[in-house]
Amino acid sequence: MLVPIFNLKLNQKINPRMMTIGKFDGVHPCLTAATQAGKVFIHNPHTRAQRPVAHRLSQSAQDSDISLLNINQAVTCLTAGTLGPNTTGDTLLVGSQTNLLAYDVHDNADVFYREVTDGANAIVLGKLGDISNPLAIIGGNCALQGFDYEGNDHFWTVTGDNVRSLMLCDFTGDGKNELLVGSEDFDIRVFREDELVSEMTENETVTSLCHMHGSRFGYALANGTVGVYDRTARYWRIKSKNHAMSIHAFDLNADGVVELITGWSNGKIDARSDHTGEVIFKDNLSSSVAGVVEGDYRLDGQKQLICASIEGEVRGYLPASKDLKGNLMDSSAEQNLIRELSQRRQNLLLELHNYEEHAEGVSETNSRMGVIPANTQLQIALSVRPATEAQKAHVELCISTPNETIIRAVLIFAEGIFEGESHVVHPSSQNLSGCVRVPIVPPKDIPVDLHIKAFVGGKTSTQFHVFEITRQLPRFSMYDITVDSSAAPPSGKVTFSINDRPQRVVMWLNQNFLLPEGVSSPDVSFTSLRGRGMLSISMASNGQITLRTDDIDLAGDLVQSLAIFLAIEDLSAEADFPGYFEELRTTLTEVDELHSVHQKLTASMADHSNYIRNMLVQAEDARLMGDMTMMKKRYRELYDLNRDLINEYKIRSNNHNALLACLKSVNQAIQRAGRLRVGKPKNQVISACRDAIKSNNLNALFRIMRAGTASS
Amino acid sequence: MKMEIYLNRVDYMQVGVTSQKTMRLLPALGKKATQKVAIADHNGIVTCFGMKKGEAVPVFKTLPGQKIVRMDLGGTVGTPQEKIFVCCGSQVRGFTKKGKQFLTFEANLTETINAMHVSGTDLFVCASYIYNHYCDCKDQDYYLSGDKINDITCLSSENLTRLIPVLACQDRVLRVLQGSELAYEIEVPGPPSVLELYNKDEEEEILYGTTDGKIGLVQIGEHSAATKWEMDNDKKKGGILCIDTYDIIGDGVNDILVGRDDGTIEVYGFDSNSEPTLRFEHVLSESVTSIQGGCVGKESYDEVLTATYTGWVTGLTTEPQKAEAGHGDVVRMSKEIQSKVEALRTELEQLQLKVMQGREKYQQNAQSSTAVSAVPIFSINDKFTLCQDDASYSLTLEVQTAIDHLLLQSDVPIDLLDVDKNSAVVSFSECDSEQPNGNFLLATYRCQANTTRLELKVRSIEGQYGTLQAYITPRLQPKTCQVRQYQIKPLSLHQRTHSIDQDRPMNRLSLVGQFSFAEIHSWVVFCLPEVPEKTPAGDCITFCFQNTFLGTQLESTYCKGEVHFRSDNISTISILSDVLSKEATKKKINLNISYDINDNSVSHTLKMIHPKLEYQLLLARKVQLIDALKELQVHEGNADFLIPEYRSILDESANLLEEYKKQPAHLERLYGMITDLFIDKFKFKGQNVKAKVSSLLEILDNYDLNSLLEFFCEA
Repeated sequence: MLVPIFNLKLNQKINPRMMTIGKFDGVHPCLTAATQAGKVFIHNPHTRAQRPVAHRLSQSAQDSDISLLNINQAVTCLTAGTLGPNTTGDTLLVGSQTNLLAYDVHDNADVFYREVTDGANAIVLGKLGDISNPLAIIGGNCALQGFDYEGNDHFWTVTGDNVRSLMLCDFTGDGKNELLVGSEDFDIRVFREDELVSEMTENETVTSLCHMHGSRFGYALANGTVGVYDRTARYWRIKSKNHAMSIHAFDLNADGVVELITGWSNGKIDARSDHTGEVIFKDNLSSSVAGVVEGDYRLDGQKQLICASIEGEVRGYLPASKDLKGNLMDSSAEQNLIRELSQRRQNLLLELHNYEEHAEGVSETNSRMGVIPANTQLQIALSVRPATEAQKAHVELCISTPNETIIRAVLIFAEGIFEGESHVVHPSSQNLSGCVRVPIVPPKDIPVDLHIKAFVGGKTSTQFHVFEITRQLPRFSMYDITVDSSAAPPSGKVTFSINDRPQRVVMWLNQNFLLPEGVSSPDVSFTSLRGRGMLSISMASNGQITLRTDDIDLAGDLVQSLAIFLAIEDLSAEADFPGYFEELRTTLTEVDELHSVHQKLTASMADHSNYIRNMLVQAEDARLMGDMTMMKKRYRELYDLNRDLINEYKIRSNNHNALLACLKSVNQAIQRAGRLRVGKPKNQVISACRDAIKSNNLNALFRIMRAGTASS
Repeated sequence: MKMEIYLNRVDYMQVGVTSQKTMRLLPALGKKATQKVAIADHNGIVTCFGMKKGEAVPVFKTLPGQKIVRMDLGGTVGTPQEKIFVCCGSQVRGFTKKGKQFLTFEANLTETINAMHVSGTDLFVCASYIYNHYCDCKDQDYYLSGDKINDITCLSSENLTRLIPVLACQDRVLRVLQGSELAYEIEVPGPPSVLELYNKDEEEEILYGTTDGKIGLVQIGEHSAATKWEMDNDKKKGGILCIDTYDIIGDGVNDILVGRDDGTIEVYGFDSNSEPTLRFEHVLSESVTSIQGGCVGKESYDEVLTATYTGWVTGLTTEPQKAEAGHGDVVRMSKEIQSKVEALRTELEQLQLKVMQGREKYQQNAQSSTAVSAVPIFSINDKFTLCQDDASYSLTLEVQTAIDHLLLQSDVPIDLLDVDKNSAVVSFSECDSEQPNGNFLLATYRCQANTTRLELKVRSIEGQYGTLQAYITPRLQPKTCQVRQYQIKPLSLHQRTHSIDQDRPMNRLSLVGQFSFAEIHSWVVFCLPEVPEKTPAGDCITFCFQNTFLGTQLESTYCKGEVHFRSDNISTISILSDVLSKEATKKKINLNISYDINDNSVSHTLKMIHPKLEYQLLLARKVQLIDALKELQVHEGNADFLIPEYRSILDESANLLEEYKKQPAHLERLYGMITDLFIDKFKFKGQNVKAKVSSLLEILDNYDLNSLLEFFCEA
């Protein structure tokens, strides 16, 4: 059995996912993590000599091995590593909602300090693509930005939603690193510099990514799922009721292949085989895990796996020695094998017993046993239901039995369309029948596998047959082909040309929409069941396709889905979404206003702080002079001032949040304009839009969004 | 000084599903020889085996039959007790140690036997409420118990003039009998589930275990008993299913071996001051149904032998694990195991083939239009009990094979709480609590592989009643599910007690009408937990209850045509009055309802709530401060500048947080009950004060007992 080789109590809280190891003097690895009160602590047990106290760094009073770094802002991410070309030690990078700090711990000096308006939710340090210097890449609200050691940004692009996790690895196998981005819209996107090369859709916010080996990487979602991908194919995944706080790749059983180490919110740590997900080791910390890292913490040339809890409990594990034969759990593997085989035997015996009893025939027609005709088969139908007075518009799943048996309950397990992972329909005993209709309202246009379990039996049964059936809900199921002719036609549209037969487009329509009879022509119109108006698709004889809708997201989804179906690599398009563009214009002016308010508020805050300093000195002077009335007066004024300051802070904070929201929607607009194109034209649109925003040329921005290029 | 013991787990074999107390070790023949194991299962098979070189070698195995629920050993007094007795249905069967059946005895009870004790030529059997004593298979004594009998044992000692049978009854008493009469009752702190003689030589002391996990020792006399010690269940482990005494530590004193329904196996030793202390603990993944100390695996190595719900016979042996002994041994052991694994694999292959044929046949059958499909019922071991400590229900489900998923449905508002040791992924589904389906809770549990046992916690609200249903689907082909129902009663948080404190100010509710004794009893069963289903003997009966959350009391006394409830909690009376009048209307029975409301009872109840409320408020306030104080501590580098009160919060922060976590929503529940109390007080005065509830909540937010009392008086 594998046991930790060291155990530490740091007496510092550790913020989840904000922990790293850095060799700041180039030799000694130091555990570094963000803690409460906007501080970062550095644990350095190796050099116990006194270090000078200056600038940001101060020694902790409780523990001489710990130095505290004052950031004065809530830390959102941190990492450490080689950034500059001629530095001996690692650079520490600390991100907050507004700034990125690069800091040289050894020399106790800032390397750079940059304002980042989109915030830094996640950070990764390393080389990307052909860019010569290592970059500190941060992911914020829909934006990605990479800085070199001088603080210049060499990399910028947008992504679909707030970034939550980043990772660098050679995904395509071209010898250069790609950037993997996990975001709140459940997507993992792969960027070769600013070109999007792959996109994998998961079913929850992607909270962590970690490189395993080659093109294989691990991921964790906010709903307790962890798993491993190889390129775009998912190898395995498991789901727990706890949340995965941190994942890391480490070869714990010393077999030459890394395992996926997961630290969970209940304090559990487990190591899973990279190709099966089987648990080969587990241990428990007393509180939620905050981070999992590796480093040679004992300076003996061996790397240890280091796990820390949010309460500052730290454990280190060495890879298993050879005599454990890869068996890291406490009870012997042989015993477990026998237990498992016996369990399988028992299951088979039970099943056999079931068939034997069944063959003997059911003598008594005991309805409680749940006797049903042997040829009972469930009929399942999906159909689109427009809104009625009693019910919202939905997709209806109708499950029925062909005979007098009843359906006691229906369980549907599906990802991403229900609040939890399942939806249950359980009619009351008076309303039992052979038919159950389940309304489904998928919140997003994604294809979903519905795993249906129906309990079938008699009205008074206590035992039911469980029918298990899987059906796929097509991607664009919330669109009804019947069109209200009186409705105004959409003003937004996107036009592009393809070199394919109309029949292929018809095939795509039949696969991706819920069409009762199917269609034979690519010219069709739908009504959105989410109340977003009409959608019409038409194809001219020259292969030009026009999608008319006011929903720019839908247009983007359709373009992407069609491009994948027809295997189109590059697709340029012309687009116009007057309503949306108008909205964007307003947002952009709002951004300007918010910026100026922000500057004004910052100035007045500085004034106030000066005033407070003066007031305090005056009040204390009065106290020393024994002038109590004056002192009271000053302190009362100070109190009032303080209240004003707090109010002002609230205004500032509201202003800041509004600004963030606006910036996010601007970034999203660029992303949306990009999604109307595929491949190179897409990247061109994104970078051209960014340049237009940088130079504050709004007209150019809208021209690019419409035409796909700046020049015209 | 404490002696440490290390026991290593060894799995011996697996039989079918087993009931409580169905495995015994036969007496050893020589001084050092290993013992044979006899075990009986739900398939009706009695298996007897011994261990030879790590292999289970069967001595005999009987043919399948009716489900066996108990096993005991017997024999002529003074000789080794090596005859095996089992009971199934209303029959008792006896086997010699060689497997020859020498006795088939039909007890002629209408119900099935669920407890049995054998002593010489005396046979004691119990069905749910009935006790019967036979001597040489001839009827001797008979007794009808007031509540369900869970277990029986019998004392015989030179100091006693006669055999003394003791019944463990569900209503928290041990009943000591004399012939067909009750000699006296012993009150115990929980519903007793198992009885065992403490010392097999001087049989005057009895160990009992309760369904809520408590253990105690009582000394039984002919006319009275004395409690020696009681052990609480502070750690909230499972209920006790089996107990044995055996000197496994080897200090010359018998230790107590305990098996629980959450899979825990414990060994308690005794200090110099004769207090039992926990010496060893091991947790299996399923209920431990039988336990006994002895020697099975290898000569001269003592062990604790257990049987589990799914029929695993497992030893915890003092023999050191071979893997630790050295490299030479490892190889040898691998060989043994290898042959075992190979044998299993071949068997599996053959089974797989048979199963494939079975599946095919089943599929063919599905083509036929006349055939029907029915699948045999799989066995579920379930328990739905009220936990006194946190006033919530615990539901445990155990299936003989792995559970695939579970659906929970309830037609009453209840809260489902997370249980840490559960690994299943829970998902709550949107409910349409409005008609027509009336669901208040729909939740699915998708289980991880190899989960055979699930534990859930449910919090109910008094006054809201209905049914909780669990649909259990195991990972077994053809896939089926079974539904189990659990009643959430109107006074769901009440628990039976032995007596109530008569000095408290009481409210009275009396109902008079044309109803029979059986009818009124069924109403009481409907309203309150832990009341026996069967109508009690006699004309008149009194039951006492305690509210596990507030500590208020209820006494119900009823006979034909008349029922009286007395409680210091006005809300309890209000709920009873509402439910009973509704029930009577349903049955078209005219009720004459009268109240005797004591206004002092309300302030009495509020004063009872006061310490709980104050404690919770203080706790909540302290917990709220912890993070801020910790931040200050980090900022300043130490906590010396804080006032002592804050420093102590920092010092105790871990305990405070744990305490706070243990009682989720405690404050909200207290607020809810105070609000009910307020509404009910004025309901009896004919006033509707629902409009004033918001001002009540305001007072609670700035809580002070006197202003609350005043508000209750004034409003």
